Amino acid sequence: MAKSVLIVDDHPGFRASARRMLEASGYAVVGEAADGEAAIAAAGALGPDLVLLDVQLPDLDGFAVAARLQGLEGAPAVVLTSSRDRADFGDAVAESPARGFIAKAELSGRALAELVG
Amino acid sequence: MSGLRRALVALGVLAFLLGILSAALVMTSDHASPRGLLLALVLAAGWSFAFTGLYAWDRRPGNSIGPLMTAAGFTWFFQALTASNNAWVFAIGILGQTLPFAILVHLLVSFPSGRLRTRLQIVAVSLAYLATGPLQLVWALFTDPTAQADCDGCPENPVLIGGAEGVAEAVSAVQVLGGCASIAIAIWILYRNWRRSSATERRVLTPVLATGGTAFTILLMQLIVGELGASEAFKQVTFIASVAIFACLPFAFLLGLLRSRIGRADEETSALSAENQQLTAELEAKVAELRASRHRIVEAGYAERRRVERDLHDGAQQRLMALTMTLRLARERLDADPAAAAELLDEAMEELGAATAELREFARGIHPVVLSDRGLAAALGGLAERSPVPVEIAAAPDERLPTPVESAAYFVVAESLTNVARYAGAELATVRVERRDGTLEVEVSDNGAGGADPDAGTGLRGLADRVAALDGSLSVRSEAGKGTTVEALIPCG
Repeated sequence: MAKSVLIVDDHPGFRASARRMLEASGYAVVGEAADGEAAIAAAGALGPDLVLLDVQLPDLDGFAVAARLQGLEGAPAVVLTSSRDRADFGDAVAESPARGFIAKAELSGRALAELVG
Repeated sequence: MSGLRRALVALGVLAFLLGILSAALVMTSDHASPRGLLLALVLAAGWSFAFTGLYAWDRRPGNSIGPLMTAAGFTWFFQALTASNNAWVFAIGILGQTLPFAILVHLLVSFPSGRLRTRLQIVAVSLAYLATGPLQLVWALFTDPTAQADCDGCPENPVLIGGAEGVAEAVSAVQVLGGCASIAIAIWILYRNWRRSSATERRVLTPVLATGGTAFTILLMQLIVGELGASEAFKQVTFIASVAIFACLPFAFLLGLLRSRIGRADEETSALSAENQQLTAELEAKVAELRASRHRIVEAGYAERRRVERDLHDGAQQRLMALTMTLRLARERLDADPAAAAELLDEAMEELGAATAELREFARGIHPVVLSDRGLAAALGGLAERSPVPVEIAAAPDERLPTPVESAAYFVVAESLTNVARYAGAELATVRVERRDGTLEVEVSDNGAGGADPDAGTGLRGLADRVAALDGSLSVRSEAGKGTTVEALIPCG
């Protein structure tokens, strides 16, 4: 069965591209959210297998959202993404409970599969 | 010769003439006794007070000690009028003869500044004037000089209110009490001033206080003993002593006043220090404003860099990310579904076009290339073209100006036109940029709603700092219903 995915990003253009790319790679996109609070609510309601989570959001940052998603029952696997490099965030990525980080420029079904299987 | 000095010389001449007149009155008097001593007192005290007073007045025009001494001198001549055989002149003399003592109290307690500052000083001086002014008048109305023991041959009192001898005695007693109280307070004030003063101040105070204190003591003795009834010999001695001391007193005042730096320095220093304080305050305000504006310029620099980063991140970069994903998808589809891949490529090209346009707009926001290439007039034309509200360029300089001036003028117009489009609801904006007398005048006005708050929003504030950094100024006039006018004046050499 296809893995269910929640896309969290405040740019609708990116969400649309990501949805198309993920669906083309065999994921089932079950929802989208534009900020951190909406992401936590949607994750609670939809119970996705995977959350593709942008680091820079208008309210909470992606690391805070990842930490809170970790507390949910049947916590989803979180993959952080950003238009910046992993190095721009120091060791925040390593410290976070997320499975990993993929720069938006390198985002593909294969890169995702390597992180979450 | 100044107007003041002319007046002072005239007063000096008058004092001299009054002295001569006094001598004539005393020497021809039927009743004055002893004539020689009376004349000595009048001339010594009257002339010395008047002349030293006028001199002090001339040297320290801002200090009232000089005028007070002069007044004391002139009032001494009332004594001479009491020698007159004419009843009316005699009455006037009686009326005024005690005034110099009140002025003396005034002089001593206000020395050396000439000002009455404390309540106690005012009480002492008020009591003195009350006893010698109004009360002396009442006393004079009820006193019959012909009935007095020491006034043989005195003229009759032309204004006598008869049949009430007790009144004069009662008033006289009140006068003596008031006078004694006034002198006692004055002595206390003098003592206190002296005790509180520094060594330098004592150099000024000592001659006055020593002479004044002695004069007061003699006066007090005369008052008290006179009331109790004294021997002729005692009266003679105290009289001679008072002549001597009153003649010395004005020189003591003059010496003290001229030694005093307070008399002159007081006013000059206080004016100087007030001016100094004001200048310091202005300077501090300027420095604070400069510091604040420098802080804002640095802050604006950081804010600008953050804005550039955010604009790039949210705009072009996001478009390029999406473009990358679209291209990658197209590449993956190319073999299996060429038609879908072609559609994705079309989409990618559209996205690329949008990203390019956005970058171009963005670069112009950082620095408009037309401004550096072709100057202010061309750049303003470009702004007018892109403005959603119609813009009329009423004037724009053809010549090239220093780069910072052109740049500041350009951004003042750009920001103002942005505000017109956003807030004013105007139908027309007018831009006028003219070089006049070494200043570039930049004016953007609209026919919109007006009522804009010039302090609201950081855009204009940042521009005001930018203009101020070039020693210019920016002002906003925005009355409700009358449109908004932004005016910048930028020195351009």
